[in-house]
Amino acid sequence: MKTLGRLLVLGKGYAWWMVFGLFASLVTLVANLGLMAVSGWFIASMAIAGATGAAINYFTPAALIRAFAMLRTGGRYVDRLATHEATFRILGGLRLWFFDHLEPLAPARLQLARGGDLLSRIRADIDSLENFYARLLVPTAVAILGIAATGLFLQFYDPVLALVAVLGLLFAGFAVPYASWRLGARIGARRVEYDADLRTAIVDGIQGMGEIAAFGGEAQARRRIAELDARSVNAQRYLSKVRGLSEAVSSLAANITLWVGLLVAIPLVRTASLDGAELAMIALFLLAAFESVFPLPQAFALLGSTLTAARRLFEIVDSPLPVLDPANPTVHVSRYDLEFDDVGFSYAAGGNRALKRLSFRVNEGERIAILGSSGSGKTTIVNLLLRFWEYQAGNIRLGGCEIRDFRADDVRSRIAVVSQHSHLFNTTIRENLRIAVPDADQETLERACRIAGIHETITAKPNGYDTLVGEGGIRLSGGEARRLVVARAILRDTPVLVLDEPTEGLDSPTAASLMSMLDKATRGRTVLLITHKAADLAHVDRIVMLEAGTVTDTGTHQELLHRNPAYASLHDTLNTPVQA
Amino acid sequence: MTSVESWLATQRSHVRVSLFTAVGLSFGSGLLLIVQAYLMALIVDSVIFLGADLDSLWPFLWGLLAVFVVRSTLVFFTERAAFETAVTVKTRAREALFRRLQALGPLHASDVGAGTLASLVMEGIEALEDFYARYLPDAALAALVPAAFFVVVLPRDWFSAVVFLSTAPLIPLFMILIGKGAEHLNRRQWRKLAHLGGRLLDAIQGLTTLKILNATRREAGVIAQISDEYRRSTMSVLRVAFLSSMVLEFFASVSIAVVAVFIGFRLVGYLEWGTIDFRTGFFVLLLAPDFYRPLRNLGTRYHARLDAIGAAEGLVKYLEQPTPERDRAIHPIPDGPGFSIDFDQVSLSYSSGVSSLHMLTLNVTPGERLALVGPSGAGKSSVFNLLLRFADPESGSIRINGVDLEKIELDEWRRHIAWMPQRPHIFHGTLRDNVTLGFSDARQSDVDDAIEMAGASEFVSRLPDGLDTVVGERGQGLSGGQIQRIALARAFLRDAPLLLLDEATASLDEAAESGIGEAVDRLADGRTVLIIAHRLRTVRSADRIVVLDKGRIVESGIHDNLLHDNGLYAALAGHSRNRS
Repeated sequence: MKTLGRLLVLGKGYAWWMVFGLFASLVTLVANLGLMAVSGWFIASMAIAGATGAAINYFTPAALIRAFAMLRTGGRYVDRLATHEATFRILGGLRLWFFDHLEPLAPARLQLARGGDLLSRIRADIDSLENFYARLLVPTAVAILGIAATGLFLQFYDPVLALVAVLGLLFAGFAVPYASWRLGARIGARRVEYDADLRTAIVDGIQGMGEIAAFGGEAQARRRIAELDARSVNAQRYLSKVRGLSEAVSSLAANITLWVGLLVAIPLVRTASLDGAELAMIALFLLAAFESVFPLPQAFALLGSTLTAARRLFEIVDSPLPVLDPANPTVHVSRYDLEFDDVGFSYAAGGNRALKRLSFRVNEGERIAILGSSGSGKTTIVNLLLRFWEYQAGNIRLGGCEIRDFRADDVRSRIAVVSQHSHLFNTTIRENLRIAVPDADQETLERACRIAGIHETITAKPNGYDTLVGEGGIRLSGGEARRLVVARAILRDTPVLVLDEPTEGLDSPTAASLMSMLDKATRGRTVLLITHKAADLAHVDRIVMLEAGTVTDTGTHQELLHRNPAYASLHDTLNTPVQA
Repeated sequence: MTSVESWLATQRSHVRVSLFTAVGLSFGSGLLLIVQAYLMALIVDSVIFLGADLDSLWPFLWGLLAVFVVRSTLVFFTERAAFETAVTVKTRAREALFRRLQALGPLHASDVGAGTLASLVMEGIEALEDFYARYLPDAALAALVPAAFFVVVLPRDWFSAVVFLSTAPLIPLFMILIGKGAEHLNRRQWRKLAHLGGRLLDAIQGLTTLKILNATRREAGVIAQISDEYRRSTMSVLRVAFLSSMVLEFFASVSIAVVAVFIGFRLVGYLEWGTIDFRTGFFVLLLAPDFYRPLRNLGTRYHARLDAIGAAEGLVKYLEQPTPERDRAIHPIPDGPGFSIDFDQVSLSYSSGVSSLHMLTLNVTPGERLALVGPSGAGKSSVFNLLLRFADPESGSIRINGVDLEKIELDEWRRHIAWMPQRPHIFHGTLRDNVTLGFSDARQSDVDDAIEMAGASEFVSRLPDGLDTVVGERGQGLSGGQIQRIALARAFLRDAPLLLLDEATASLDEAAESGIGEAVDRLADGRTVLIIAHRLRTVRSADRIVVLDKGRIVESGIHDNLLHDNGLYAALAGHSRNRS
């Protein structure tokens, strides 16, 4: 109920569009009822007039019939246009609403998003919210108004007749869909689970195809998929039975309403409280009245999945903010040194401590490398520095000021980051650069690209700066993508630069040339290099060795090479990285 | 007929019985509508003109009720038959598609991407459901039901029959005329919609990057703008597209009006021709809406057809491709004291056109431990792909103990290889399933031994359910080192004479690294081993090192000699040594 209420509030801005759609639907419905009822009345009256030889005004009903026919045609057209217009507006609005609410949560509250799974689910969830307004809310309102109108109309002739019709409509429109929803809910939920299992098996079967083939598991993988498919099909079969049953019962309810209606109306003709033409009219009216509840089973079927989708989205949106901006933020900072002082942090309350009493310092204009294996807390340092998470103990200072006293945006505007996770957007090279500085002119872009050593590569491409980079930059080579990210960071011209595993996934000649380019490009700035590769350390002033969230040693390359065996052993790698 | 349409038609032949059942039952229900209309006309006519009361009408009323009940029963079984039709097609197609993907092999899968292929196997196949369960039956009914109605009406009221006949073909005609144009526009809109959805997903995926770049506000603006443009352009298309349904509605509505008005005029005797009685007139009027209903239904199913054709395009591309012929090779594994492997002037280029190996000649003697070294893209993985027969040489040959590898029975050959890829895939399922991949009847003691030898027993015993712990997607997460050990256990269990090992480049902590190194040594003992090496420790223990560059062998020998030669190997190895 709460979810339903919030959905209604979300749709408030589009109320007029929905009312417009509702009105058009209602006109169509009334026109259809009118067309059938007046036609029935008309031919019966004409037949009676023919038989008795009485005079009859046939112009009015004949004109009404034509008018209803045109109204039904036009009404349906306007109805569909209005509903679609409303749907697109709502969808656009919901996307923005969700994006705005997601922004402060990233990446802290989205950590659970493994792979693209959660992200594509979010998209599907937003799309399914569209159903709520266009296929649920409006048709339900139309049905309720239609039922009321039917009852109102029929009670002019006979209250019992009106009661029969309203009960029949309520039964077919609400009771049957509700019952079938109840019958199908459990299996329906299970089917979603089964399909997820099936998808996992299929993804496994494709991603692990090499191992499956090499180890002779192909038939086994197919059997597994067939089994999971069969399990899902069984659930679907049950749901199909429920659907068939509900359709059958609904249509039976409509027909029985007509039947009972006849039983009520026929004696009324005998007692002359209903004339013959009205009987013909009521028969056709009752047949047409059920059109108003036809969309309801579908609406009910969507209700569950729509509410689940909404609940999931609200759950994300309602997550507590990972970082709060201060009421009176610090704005100015005169120097750009960085200091971690006794910092303690864990991702989950009471969970493992990712950082323990971590202390180190980077002077303004100094280059420091943080060296540690995966899981040592390197990335956590970046996460805290960028105000993605709130640190629980100690101090982090930028230019001597505590960073939580700044607005998070103000911290980030002073720090540029190059990381292997830097996202390239599926658009042109130029747009990817301009995301950082939207009003940068071509000259500025080229300057940054020259420094990053990628200008020549870009101009050598047939479309130059207008080359599309593909999803996640897939159409660029690893080295090109990384250099583009560097160019983007250089464009921002920030006093502090964080290089988070800048050479990860690159082969050694590419990595080496990237590092020497970075050396030139970043002179004079405060640089924090985060790496696990010994080869990246050529151009730094000092190295901080990190293990299990705490500093184990600090010194220059030479100092560490002599006194620290762990440091020395890191240099035992043959540089033949990942083959593309 | 395009290949897509003919494929859809071929599938139809597999489900002839259930499809005929669905159409037959539904048609039966349509015929009963005629009986129903006849009974109703009779009852209403008797009440109005013969002054009949309920008592005299009971036989007809009971008859009417019986028709209602039978029709509802038919509705239920129609749904069931339609469902079974769709399920049969879906299951067959999914099986065939997955089998085909397996035949095309892992290189193809990683080329196209697991996500794309998985959605083809899941959603692509699901899109067939509405085509077989809804569109096809409705298409048949749209021809059958109106024809039956026409035959019944013609002898009773030729005028109305002519109205039906002249409007009925116009409806599908206009639908197709307008639909063709709309189809084209529609596809363009779908592409735009996909683009819009993609843009949102891209923005959400890159949210952290956008935040780092302080660009979230701007991106929100862009999304709003694109949504708005999309709405505008779609609505301009829909205004036209909905005209088709308006034409449909127009003909249906106006025909009912014309039929009603003219029946009325003839009943009262204003027209000289086509005299008619009330019972017939009312009967025809009752049939009129149901005459057009199947045609209208078909109109709403039209997009199911488009969806199915769209989905089938993706499927047919795979299903109609010839499979590489491999089953002819039936030569048994040649005997020998081990495997001697000869690459004789082997060249390989991938489907993307990238040349990978160039006239490679290489001999591996039984029991040899050979390390492959080279920069990224040198062709190291290609050697493995060829030996695993994920790819076949473009020219040249590979011989195993003198017999051409392509002539050796594939499954049998793969049983003699244990392969450890660089990034082993962990399947969703228990740890045991992962270790016994392709070997599901392995003895418990053998599995335990393999775990023990791989050095995995310690962490396995610490897991909540030991070997039965569910891992992989949606299961317990494993660290990089643990995944390596599971893959090693897989290889131990296989106990194959040829070991292909692609060393991990990702950094592990030192203890894990040396533990895995020892396990690899145990595994290599007594087997022919090819290792793609990334660590000095590994190459030092090799009998021979082969250095590849750009698909050719540039050097080979042992570590010390190669260093002394001061070639590519020295550069690769020295990179980390000389920089201090």
